[in-house]
Amino acid sequence: MRDYFLRRLLLIPPTFIGVTLLVFAITRFVPGGPLERAIMEARTSETRRGGDMGRSSTSEEQLADLKAYYGLDKPIPVAYVQWLGKVVRCDLGTSHRFNEPVRDLITQRLPVSLVYGGITLALTYGVCIPLGIAKAIRHRTGFDNATSALIFFGYAVPGYALGAILIVFLAARAEWFPMSGFVGENFSDLSIWGKVVDLAHHAVLPLVCYAITSFAFLTMLMKNQLMDNLAADFVRTAVAKGVSFKTAVLRHALRNSLIPLATHLGASLTVFVGGSYLIEFIFDINGMGLLGVQSIFDRDYPSVMGVLVVSSLVLLTGNVISDMLIALIDPRVRFK
Amino acid sequence: MADAPILEVRNLVTAFDTDAGQVIAVDGVSFQCHRGRTLGIVGESGCGKSVTALSIMRLLPQPMGRILGGEILFDGRDLAQATPEQMYQVRGGKIGMIFQEPMTALNPVHTIGRQLAEVFLLHKTRDRAEALRLAIEMLKHVGIPSPEVRVGEYPHQLSGGMRQRVVIAMALACRPQLVIADEPTTALDVTIQAQILDLMQQLQAELGMSIMLITHDLGVIAEMCDDVVVMYGGRIAESGPVEAIFENPSHPYTRGLLDSIPRLGGQRKSRLRIIDGMVPALKDMPPGCRFQNRCPFAVDRCRKDQPAIEQVAPGHAVACHRWREVVAGAAVSATS
Repeated sequence: MRDYFLRRLLLIPPTFIGVTLLVFAITRFVPGGPLERAIMEARTSETRRGGDMGRSSTSEEQLADLKAYYGLDKPIPVAYVQWLGKVVRCDLGTSHRFNEPVRDLITQRLPVSLVYGGITLALTYGVCIPLGIAKAIRHRTGFDNATSALIFFGYAVPGYALGAILIVFLAARAEWFPMSGFVGENFSDLSIWGKVVDLAHHAVLPLVCYAITSFAFLTMLMKNQLMDNLAADFVRTAVAKGVSFKTAVLRHALRNSLIPLATHLGASLTVFVGGSYLIEFIFDINGMGLLGVQSIFDRDYPSVMGVLVVSSLVLLTGNVISDMLIALIDPRVRFK
Repeated sequence: MADAPILEVRNLVTAFDTDAGQVIAVDGVSFQCHRGRTLGIVGESGCGKSVTALSIMRLLPQPMGRILGGEILFDGRDLAQATPEQMYQVRGGKIGMIFQEPMTALNPVHTIGRQLAEVFLLHKTRDRAEALRLAIEMLKHVGIPSPEVRVGEYPHQLSGGMRQRVVIAMALACRPQLVIADEPTTALDVTIQAQILDLMQQLQAELGMSIMLITHDLGVIAEMCDDVVVMYGGRIAESGPVEAIFENPSHPYTRGLLDSIPRLGGQRKSRLRIIDGMVPALKDMPPGCRFQNRCPFAVDRCRKDQPAIEQVAPGHAVACHRWREVVAGAAVSATS
């Protein structure tokens, strides 16, 4: 068992290299890279200055300088190894767009994503598990049907669409919640309690949108798993021993039902760090999702690679963690 | 009171709500189980024998299953009217139950020791260490080698026969007055079957409990039982002491069952005797006698009137209009 997880952990570096190498290579081939942009910018500014249209203003020399600046002067393997060497030393390079170290960009935004991701994760699991249990026990009652209708309505509406609706009605018209941002403008002047309230106030609407994405899936998974297990022979055995229905559910059926949810946890961790670009965009939250997608639009490749480093590491360790959880819950699972 | 039966079922009617409407699975069944004796209930799949057992334990699947009428007098108390809390005391404490499928009857995520100790914690002691000690003792009792090691193991680490021993240990843990065994050997290899039956007989001799044994195997009945109830289509066809049933079967269905046992003395590779036809589905049972469509003795009266229970001999009862002809026919075929 310990050897298995040791091997799984040892497999993380090669997988990581595979993922990053692939994306690194792609950034070299995709048109519209930083070099082309620089040339374009140079041309338009020259045109504005009324320069000669026919002659290319960027000389071979300048082009070589630019290539060297963006690290495009070396072949992919060499450039990749150099990049990887810097990553190991915690240097993710400098963002072309912000002219700031990518590491700083990420450390600024990661807490935002961690807060939202952590609360979302706690919220979805904290609500979906009890709700699934309640629905399984009250199967086909008014409560079950009503919550099912609500859940499937939520399932059908994408998080960003719901976000737009919520902003229009609850933020713009009713003014119950702020329209956007992670914290208010006067955040630094507030007391600690005031900061918490301000943060929570800003978080309500985005959190609803985050949570709704996996809400239906997790609740119905929990409900169906529990119903399967409630009908299982071993639950009947437990009741025949004299345990109450409640004990039979909590002690005998529940733990068996949590196994598939543990499997899902690893994948949930990516939301934790990656966030959701569209939701961050709508609510103007400066999280990792927004950084990642905008870096792609701007061909800010050091930032793209930086976000990739963080999210792939989280996903890879997340999968190992969720395997460990499964082994913890289910004694039949023994890895060799 | 020494002669009073430990269990007396009177006119039990159990029904299930299905999509096609209410279906009566057990229709007016009455029998007695005497102290220290073994009662066998035999019949084909779907004849209501398991539903009878689940009714006694009040373990009918909810909310579909319901006891519509009748009394289940256990030690003088009517279990059909007992509250859920009273049933917690009865189940596992006063009535133990052994299930058919040892592979699924135990909870896969808890150790054998924990599942067995649970019975003691529910009915005997509040001390966990004491409960575990009792569990080890009980495992030794049912013939599990090195019980100190086995208590820490999970069900998947045990063979089917060993698991059934654990299930038996759980059923007998609190020295119940009655053990209901629902096809306890059906899922086991023949050699293991004999071991399990031996074990049950040995434990019965030691602990003096009554056994209600549900099976479709007349061989098991002959070996284990003092009294027999033959069920067909949710009703009792014939009941009486095991000798009377085997020597003087008075219901055509009982005769059919006995005739269909392969015999070692008979001609090899000859066709086995079978009962022609199929058991009608519960929802379209014919009026009159339920065995009429498969019965060689059936006459018009059998298609109209439900046969009353008649006495063949003291303690030997049969529900057949033509049992005298059946007995006479048997005598004729025996002499010819």
